[in-house]
Amino acid sequence: MPDIYTSDWYEAVREAINARVGTLKSVPDGAFVVKIEIVGDGASPYVAAGDERHFLINIEQGACAWYREVDGDEEGIRLDYRFRGSATVFDEVAAGLSDPIDAALHGTVKVRGDMRFLMRQAELVKVLLEAYASGVETVWPKGQPPYIAASAINA
Amino acid sequence: MRDSFDAVIIGAGHNGLTLGAYLARSGLDVVVLERRHEEGGGLCTEEVTRSGFLHNMHANYHTFVDLAPPVRDLDVRGHGIEYIRPEVQMASVFDDGTAITIHTDLEKTKASLARFSEEDAETFGRLHAEAHGFIDLLLGTLMYQPPLSVKELTKALSTFGVQDRSEFLSVKLRTESINQFLDQHFKHPKVKAHLAFHGAVCGYTNDVKGLAIGYPLLVGKIDNWHLCLGGSHRLAHALWRDLAQHGGVMVVDADVTKILVEDGRAVGVRLADGTEIAARKLVASTVSAEQTFLEFLDSSVVGEELSQKVKTKIKHKDWTLFSVHAAMTRLPEYTAAEFDPDVNRAWVVNLGIESLEQLNADWASIRAGKLVDPRPNAAINSLYDPTDAPEGFYTGLLRQFAPFAPEDGGEAAWSEMGRWYGRKCLEAWRRYAPNLDEGAFLDWAVFTPQDIARKLPNMIRGDWMMGEISLDNMLDQRPLPELGQYRTPVERLYMAGSTQHPHGFITFGPGYNALQVIAEDLGIDAWWQNV
Repeated sequence: MPDIYTSDWYEAVREAINARVGTLKSVPDGAFVVKIEIVGDGASPYVAAGDERHFLINIEQGACAWYREVDGDEEGIRLDYRFRGSATVFDEVAAGLSDPIDAALHGTVKVRGDMRFLMRQAELVKVLLEAYASGVETVWPKGQPPYIAASAINA
Repeated sequence: MRDSFDAVIIGAGHNGLTLGAYLARSGLDVVVLERRHEEGGGLCTEEVTRSGFLHNMHANYHTFVDLAPPVRDLDVRGHGIEYIRPEVQMASVFDDGTAITIHTDLEKTKASLARFSEEDAETFGRLHAEAHGFIDLLLGTLMYQPPLSVKELTKALSTFGVQDRSEFLSVKLRTESINQFLDQHFKHPKVKAHLAFHGAVCGYTNDVKGLAIGYPLLVGKIDNWHLCLGGSHRLAHALWRDLAQHGGVMVVDADVTKILVEDGRAVGVRLADGTEIAARKLVASTVSAEQTFLEFLDSSVVGEELSQKVKTKIKHKDWTLFSVHAAMTRLPEYTAAEFDPDVNRAWVVNLGIESLEQLNADWASIRAGKLVDPRPNAAINSLYDPTDAPEGFYTGLLRQFAPFAPEDGGEAAWSEMGRWYGRKCLEAWRRYAPNLDEGAFLDWAVFTPQDIARKLPNMIRGDWMMGEISLDNMLDQRPLPELGQYRTPVERLYMAGSTQHPHGFITFGPGYNALQVIAEDLGIDAWWQNV
């Protein structure tokens, strides 16, 4: 079982996505690039407060073709979607404690990009999110959510 | 004037200027042609009472500031626009001396609502929070993309299981009126009346089936009402500046009479003086479908079927606005200020709509061509914009929901009775703010539904939303299914005005969305899609 946000973890997520996409009746043609921006919030031990971790995920014909961690917006890469939220939210989603659609609907994860395409491909989007959320058994070497608030620890 | 451009845009309202500015920034050679003596369309600010008093004749409320992509992309603030977001956005005053106030501070709004119903205040807080959470998704899905169909939206909402994840969003909203939505979620008649009034001012009539689908979005921006310092027309100037700085041209007194078509493709326009202007790549019309297809295009080009549909199927609003513009010597002091002092600082005040039933009855009368006892809304821009009147004076605006064609005498009757009805509106205001005696008004002028149609002919029958706001005239059905994606049967002729999705109001949406389609057709790099 891979540690969260490691290459092994993302590879496992990729495999989970592709296994689930394979069950869909149809997937859209073409490719699109999604950027995940995970913002350190002082609660998650995986992204330091004030730091950010960014990942690019390339979806081709509905399947995850590649992913990689990046420093910022890479030149020459045109983003189709940007998902941005706090590390705690992403950690909770990866742990299966938070629902990714809830997170997007309630704005704890901000989604930018072509909403028309996203709505038209709702089934694919749902599968991608479910794979991210619950497709991989994850190791949490620094502790796992739900996190105990720092104030509670100090108390 | 040169006789050839890449893009010829008809109408220099905010949608035409927005589309023009984006295309100019994209490297196209653009001309925007305006029939009137100035740009702006509904962004029209005039000194109709006394010199120095700036009255917004049409658009007064800018509710999409910082939500609409063009505000950022076209750097309207960099072009001199200053928006003010009044702390007390809106209020309702009631016959019993009570009042509701909507603030930019949600807790203050909840406190105001709680004086009527603590349960309603909590419900509003949850609705507001939920609407704020998904406002980006709603705007991206419902406003700033070429439209999906209701069927596509419903399917997506079902797939995502929105109904189980949201207290207020559900697929059944498409079958419900705002009245039904409010009755399901709120208890107090005055709270419901205020929330319905807010929808109506945005063009969403509370008794129309299906409009509940738009209500969460309205609540998401209920505290995002801005006024444009120095008058709404300044926004038109800002958009013109952006167009001009990127090489575009805007020409006033340019009355387009014909769209030139060769081999099924739009190739230019002809003006009333006979001047022909060639369009190398596209023509975009931001005026009404009636003008575009029945006046500017030959019937042989449009075809009998589409001509008939444009004549008979396009739906316009069944009510419009009657306005009184006032030059004032003093600010209103509402009786209800004893109950809630913030009423006197409210930018927009609903005067006496007490219940949904009362508002419903007004709509029924207005649709029958009757003038109702005025329950206007009153806006004092000077509360927040000291530049719109001489020092020590104030500019006021009363708006009353009204029929375009009164049952006695039709639209022409407004010429005779406009002043009389204006006085009744002022008297209604005085009932709630007794200090507004005759001495409170230096002067006042009416702007009737007939005036709307005369000044801006694309607002047919005074239709300030340029098309009915109803479920079957929304999204890809607006204004007709064959025109619902900004393209037309004439190649390289686009519709980019408020006849299109989403609708009128200062949304920038029709121009921005038409841009997406034009970019796709012409292979323009969509630099503005800054994900």
